[in-house]
Amino acid sequence: MTSRLPEPFGALIDRSKPVSFSFEGRNVQGFKGDTIASALLANGVTMLSRSFKYHRPRGPLTMAGHDGNTLVQIGSEPNRQADRVPITSGLKVTGINYWGSLEHDRFALLGKVDRFLPVGFYYKAFYKPRWMWPYWEKLIRRVAGLGVVDLHSHHGYFDKEYLFCDVMVVGGGPAGLESALAASDAGGEVILVDENRMLGGSLNYARFDAAGERAKIERARLVAAVEARSNIRVMTETICNGAYSDNWYPLVRGNRLYKLRAGETVIAVGSYEQPLIFRNNDVPGVMLGSAVQRLIRLYGVKPGSRAVVAAANDDAYGVALDLLDAGIEVACVTDLRSDPPSAPLADAVLKKRVPVVAGSTIYEVESGSEGRGVRAVRLAKVTSEGQAAAKGDSFACDLVAVSTGYAPMAPLISQSGGTFAYDAASSMLAICSLPDHVIAAGSLNGAYALDATLEDGRRAGFEATRNSQPASAAVPTVRADKGAAGITYPFPIFSHPRGKDFVDLDEDVQVKDLEHAMLEGYEHIELLKRFTTNGMGPSQGRNSSMPAVRLAARTLKQSIDATGTTTSRPPVMQVKMGHLAGRSFEPVRYTAMHFRHLEAGAKMMSAGLWMRPEFYGDHARRAELIRAEAKNVRENVGMIDVSTLGGLDVRGPDAAEFLNRMYTFAYTKQPVGRSRYVLMTDQAGVITDDGVACRFHDDWFYVTATTSGVDAVYRQMLWYNAQWRLKVDITNVTAAYAGVNVAGPNARAVLQKICTDADLSKEAFPYMGVREATVAGIRSLLLRVGFVGELGYEVHVPASEGEALWDALMEAGKESGIRPFGVEAQRVLRLEKGHIIVSQDTDGLTNPLEADMAWAIAKTKPFFVGMRSIEIQSKQPLTRKLVGFEITDRTQPMPKECHLVVRGREITGRVTSITDSPAVGKIIGLAYVALDQSEPGKTFEIKVDGGKLVSAVVVKLPFYDPDSKRQEL
Amino acid sequence: MSLNPIDRRARSFLYRELMAAGASFAEINGQACAMRFGSDSLAELARARAMAICDLSPLRRTGYKGWATAEWLAAQGCRIEDAPNRVYGQDDGARIARLSRGEFVVLSDLAQSTTLPDRLDGAWSIASANGCFRVPRTDSSAWVVITGEHAASMFAKVCGVDLRPHTFVNHSIAQTSLARMNAIICRSDIGGTLAFDVVFDLASSVYLWGAFLDAMQEFGGKPVGLEAIRTLAGV
Amino acid sequence: MKIIHCPLNGPRNAQEFVHGGEVVAMPDPHRSSDAEWASFVFLENNVAGVVREWWCHVPTAYWFIAERDTVRDEFIRTYDASELFRERVEFTRPAAPKGDAPNGQGA
Repeated sequence: MTSRLPEPFGALIDRSKPVSFSFEGRNVQGFKGDTIASALLANGVTMLSRSFKYHRPRGPLTMAGHDGNTLVQIGSEPNRQADRVPITSGLKVTGINYWGSLEHDRFALLGKVDRFLPVGFYYKAFYKPRWMWPYWEKLIRRVAGLGVVDLHSHHGYFDKEYLFCDVMVVGGGPAGLESALAASDAGGEVILVDENRMLGGSLNYARFDAAGERAKIERARLVAAVEARSNIRVMTETICNGAYSDNWYPLVRGNRLYKLRAGETVIAVGSYEQPLIFRNNDVPGVMLGSAVQRLIRLYGVKPGSRAVVAAANDDAYGVALDLLDAGIEVACVTDLRSDPPSAPLADAVLKKRVPVVAGSTIYEVESGSEGRGVRAVRLAKVTSEGQAAAKGDSFACDLVAVSTGYAPMAPLISQSGGTFAYDAASSMLAICSLPDHVIAAGSLNGAYALDATLEDGRRAGFEATRNSQPASAAVPTVRADKGAAGITYPFPIFSHPRGKDFVDLDEDVQVKDLEHAMLEGYEHIELLKRFTTNGMGPSQGRNSSMPAVRLAARTLKQSIDATGTTTSRPPVMQVKMGHLAGRSFEPVRYTAMHFRHLEAGAKMMSAGLWMRPEFYGDHARRAELIRAEAKNVRENVGMIDVSTLGGLDVRGPDAAEFLNRMYTFAYTKQPVGRSRYVLMTDQAGVITDDGVACRFHDDWFYVTATTSGVDAVYRQMLWYNAQWRLKVDITNVTAAYAGVNVAGPNARAVLQKICTDADLSKEAFPYMGVREATVAGIRSLLLRVGFVGELGYEVHVPASEGEALWDALMEAGKESGIRPFGVEAQRVLRLEKGHIIVSQDTDGLTNPLEADMAWAIAKTKPFFVGMRSIEIQSKQPLTRKLVGFEITDRTQPMPKECHLVVRGREITGRVTSITDSPAVGKIIGLAYVALDQSEPGKTFEIKVDGGKLVSAVVVKLPFYDPDSKRQEL
Repeated sequence: MSLNPIDRRARSFLYRELMAAGASFAEINGQACAMRFGSDSLAELARARAMAICDLSPLRRTGYKGWATAEWLAAQGCRIEDAPNRVYGQDDGARIARLSRGEFVVLSDLAQSTTLPDRLDGAWSIASANGCFRVPRTDSSAWVVITGEHAASMFAKVCGVDLRPHTFVNHSIAQTSLARMNAIICRSDIGGTLAFDVVFDLASSVYLWGAFLDAMQEFGGKPVGLEAIRTLAGV
Repeated sequence: MKIIHCPLNGPRNAQEFVHGGEVVAMPDPHRSSDAEWASFVFLENNVAGVVREWWCHVPTAYWFIAERDTVRDEFIRTYDASELFRERVEFTRPAAPKGDAPNGQGA
């Protein structure tokens, strides 16, 4: 068991608050502030997971949430990062991707046969014969998988918030802190975002001087200054998870997704320390130097007892000093550079008599049984960059710390449109262009030496607010030598004849896998990535992308810039589905009578955003209830809520002219007090909507539109009149009116009871008449319409009085036996009358001629939208026609909507509407058929579910009351 | 004894929500208006200052639009300026929200002392309309007011427009999407308390009311009655 | 998400807008050939460069014109439709036979 280090080590933990949780069923003790990984390491548990493909034991690599080794399952949540998630009492943590137990994984044997499992293996081996793939897939998914998704897990509450600021600074390290301060000088609002719990970045864990004092002093100074500024909002434990157009950023904190819009952005996220590749570089106990420092300084965890440090810069010697401070023996520092320069930290290490082997790399790690931990490290002399002579000395140790170079954290810059180019002097990518309003600072911008980092931060914060800084303010300068040169080893890849030299730990990609892929022709870096899956795992290439690029450049004998890098896309870090899917807004619109429907037992259905009653009563009796509702309309009187119907007031001296242009019919001579059918087509002559236009005044039409179409109709009308400039105003009054259609032979009797100021007789108020009246004391628009084919009145009243109207109609109709009917009964009734429903009986190509609606087209108007296209279509033969049909043979299965009309191998149409008609006593419907099938009396065949052909006969429309006597009563 | 909303023909689309939250109603403009919730009026006032929502749907309002509307309103004695998306206060307490060159919403005051909406509606008729057309705002639009120091923070959870007090100054209007529904947000502080009138699709009343209550929960926000809002206004 | 500057409502998230297609003059519906008409209805110019487009701010149903660089994906200018469409547009049907009388298709 590794012990805890005394204070001041462990800046994040509170030793007075022990916390116990379980890992793999065993009780583990840690402190408040520990992450799962730090608590496990403090308890000597180094193996956190099994690798994706070979099931090799894996432990923390970065301790910063930047590797895929620490993914664990927490209860029903898969793939949480153990090095980021803080422990809480009772947390139940398990490993992932094993069969049996994490300790004894039966799939681990796969590692022994890896030569049979090269990259691309799945593509090649399992797709032939094709029918076998489903069987293989099941097995592969089980072997190569991550956590387990619990489909029954509790829904968490995840929500969203918009944020605004003048300047956002991403990264709370030395550069970010200085940036925020400089930006705040200008007086604007600054938001400082950092993914960690504590501001300070590398100042919290890295070592900048031999005494180890500088970081502490700078951190205290900067953090105190930032906290004293009222115009800086600090958001820690917040991940800036992508960069989008116009400085738009998703910030993830806890269960909330912030959408931030910044005026200017300073990106100071820093660098990733990069791994060194050698045989068994994935064994638990091999870590980045910065991971070792984080464990020691942030969590007070002693990550081992004897360490080997691989070095290619002075920071590595800082790691060695930290190890020594923590009481960990440093077996040796192996420096890849043949002649390491004198530097403050290196000199201090030498003074402490730590053996330093120059010009030497780690050749391989010797591990304990089944790769469970580091036992020893064997060195090898570096003969040239990335080349080593065979085996050198061996050093017994249980910890390997690697500090051989860095890579800028490029994603936010790349996603915002910035570009990078390879800088040979530093062997790193360096920013070569930035988009407007985005500024980079700190090590991301190549400023690695602490003084340069601080200066660069100030410069960036100033630049971001240049226009609002006092004119007298001096532009901050940054020293010329920013300390980027010589800190990154140019080719940190030492492949081994026996492999296990992992480039990508997430996906178990070895050096040879990349080499083989290139031999097979996958030379383009994007293809190489996808074929090998290098960089496609949970850590998204943070550790593996640059090595792969270096390897490809060398193999293909081209420059790094010519090789290129893969495209960075959001999200930067893993994102929970909850952040994307949780607490989204799903608007719903209720009519005034909504709750009356619910009280009456209605089954509601969606119609656009609206809720409408489908039918009233028990679902088990659905068909029977719908028939009864329809029957009551035909024989007595029913009422339906039509409030969702679109309503548009078209007013002004040009109102009739405007309708003439928008709809196919003619409206200029329409008398006041009458309604007329409206059919809308688009410029291609395709039917887009229908309704009625009611003329209440010379200058006022109240035009109805379909429930789902009204918003588009309204928008189209405004668009056309933005061009035509007619003296007309269009107002969408859909929500202003509640409407009820009272229909059936007894409708007049019921309505007359409560309509006191209008004569509803046939003579005074004929079919297609409209008028203003008072119903149940409510000022109303009355429309005599006939959608369902019976005597009927639509009563439109102010929405706030809709519920009162409904109640009054129910009361007035009580003795007649009035009953509400739903959308389904209405569909049956209108089908019996042969009325189409736009978008059910029409599609995106239907023109009025196909729909047999030539009667609705005025032929002599100067213009209407779609006119010319319809004229052109009318000169050509129709390719299909909408017809009514009936099926008399009740032994046949009943077709459904969208079943195809077929003739031999040819599809000639489809069923658009069908019902078992109570009034007609037959199965009736509408269907598109070929022109030569469209005459009444012709038969055609419908292919129903299961492939059976059902015969139907074309009949003349309407099916019911062909002389329309009933609606004109 | 509180009025029962269903005893009047005209009803706020929110009356069930208000009843469930324990509202006491009184008649305003022929319908039931939620005047208070419970008996602790001081607590209700404190809530109105911190984070609250109040249904103003029973209050009078109207709307006009059309190419000659500004001229017609001016002829009726309304004081409006050219800039759209601004609220223009009238001497009698009414407010006119100018939505565009040709569209206006007329809101009455909290005390209902103004007669402007009725006066305008009385003066207007389709027969005499000359490029100015009435919009039935009382019927097409719900009206709530959201008050308190946390109001802008609450809006940040449902609205993508920056409504922070120093950027969205008093009398500004934002016509935007609120929880994915179109809405008109007018900032009209009440007696020094941050306040936003929200005028939106009547049919989405229940939906948006729920979205607001959900968003204001973290600030302790709840519905308050008209009395608390009137107290804020000093009427 | 992009910001679009609405001439009425100021800068707003692109989410509040819908695109209404390029601003194209409608050919004379009575005098154009079938091919010209079909081209107007079905074909887009799809220019790589600066295009003039219709955009609608949905919450206010306000249509305006935007000039946008499709290569740089940048809005250059937005303005009220009245800048382009100033006059009332009239349509007249030519007296038969077709094409004999002038007709006043504007825009």
